[in-house]
Order: sequence, then C-alpha cells, then structure tokens
Amino acid sequence: MDRRHFLAYGVLFAGYSLALPSKLFAEWSVNSFQQCSIEQAFINALGTQEMVKTDKISIVAPVVATDSSLVPVDVISELKGTRIFLFVEKNLTPLVFVCDLHENALPWFSLNIKMKESSALYAVVRDGGKFFMSSVHVDVVAQAC
Amino acid sequence: MNESVRIAAREESGIVTAKVIIPHPSESGARKDESGNIVPAHFIKTGTVTLNGSPLLDIQLGPAVSKDPFLQFRFKGVKGDILKVLFLDSFNDQFAAETRVL
Repeated sequence: MDRRHFLAYGVLFAGYSLALPSKLFAEWSVNSFQQCSIEQAFINALGTQEMVKTDKISIVAPVVATDSSLVPVDVISELKGTRIFLFVEKNLTPLVFVCDLHENALPWFSLNIKMKESSALYAVVRDGGKFFMSSVHVDVVAQAC
Repeated sequence: MNESVRIAAREESGIVTAKVIIPHPSESGARKDESGNIVPAHFIKTGTVTLNGSPLLDIQLGPAVSKDPFLQFRFKGVKGDILKVLFLDSFNDQFAAETRVL
C-alpha cells in the first residue's frame, strides 16, 4: 500500500470510528447539563419553564439525608410519559438525569444521587408534548460533595 | 470494555424490575482532594438499555450521580427476555452487561 492510499484509508477509518459511537450511544446534551440556576436549567433541558404541577408523579426520597453523596431517589409516575427528568435546585448542575422511555419501559426510575446541600428536588415527566412536575424537599445533614 | 458491571432483572406479574450497579469513581469535577486540588470530572454520561435487541431506555446522566451508580428501572417483560445495558463515561470508556430476566 503506498503512502497516498494509506493516508486515505486512515482518514476514512478515523471518520468511521468517530461516527460509530454516536449511533451506539444516546446523545449527551451539553447544553442541558450546564452549571446554572434551576430556572435556566429548566429552559435548557425542557425549552420552557411552563410545567403543570401534578400529584401523579411521586418522588420517593429521604426527608433527611445523612450522606449528601448518596441520596436514593425514586421517580414514579402514573402518567405514561416518554421522558423523565430529575433536577436538584441547589446543585451546581441542577439536571441529574434524563431518561427516554421506549415502548415497553415503565415510568419508574431510581438512582442514587449527590446533593450539594439541602434542596428541592423536581421530577418532570413529558407526556404528549406537555411537561408535568412534582417536587419534594430533602434536608442534608452532612456535607460530602 | 469493562465487564465488572452487575445486573439483575426479576419478573413479577408481567413487570420486570432491573437493578444495575456500575463500579465507577463518578467524579463531578467540583470535588477537591486532600491537598486542595480539584479532582477532574470523570462520570458516566450516557446509557442505553435494550430489551431483546429493541431500545428500552436512553439515559443521560449528569455529574451529580453517586459513586458506583446504582440504577433501577421497570418495564413490561417476561422471564427469559434478554436485557442489555451499555454505558459510556466522560473518558469514553464503555461499561456493558447483559442478563436474562428471571
């Protein structure tokens, strides 16, 4: 193989290997995971601040968390949404996770999260182009972020 | 490819509860070590979950996930379904696992 072909294949291969992960993996939204205020985080992630407050989404989290680096949070929705978001108001990066639900997935997601300090948690579910929101407050005793 | 991811899925009356633990430092990029230097960010960014080869969940995670992320989720399924997870962290390291629903 001469140099010209070697380079051409090299470029092709590099392009291919760069393109591959974007197909295999879900996209990670840089904009949504910016360090900002909670209001800005809603706009970045949802494109709006307009949400309908509902009691059909429950957030199961300890009222008082003893370890701020490990707070178990369950988001359970009675609405059959297509996307679940979790925000922690006082965190540097308020958005914790986004989860897209496909056909057989149920709107039930649980994760251990870090909290910078005592804060409100907001769970948002997108259902039919609208955003539904529910919130709880979690007090953090020890700082461990 | 890292094979140390632990995964389990159990079916009960048509609903499967899956649990996944990924051994990972999950550094947010905001923590300082003993000498006051900022520990660089190193956390899991995305995850895809497939059920028998079709997409089930697409997950995006931020820096505020605890060390050794522990995820649980539910879906409609039956015993014997093949559940696969694939995670990618901010260093482009992959974490994959698969299991059969019990």
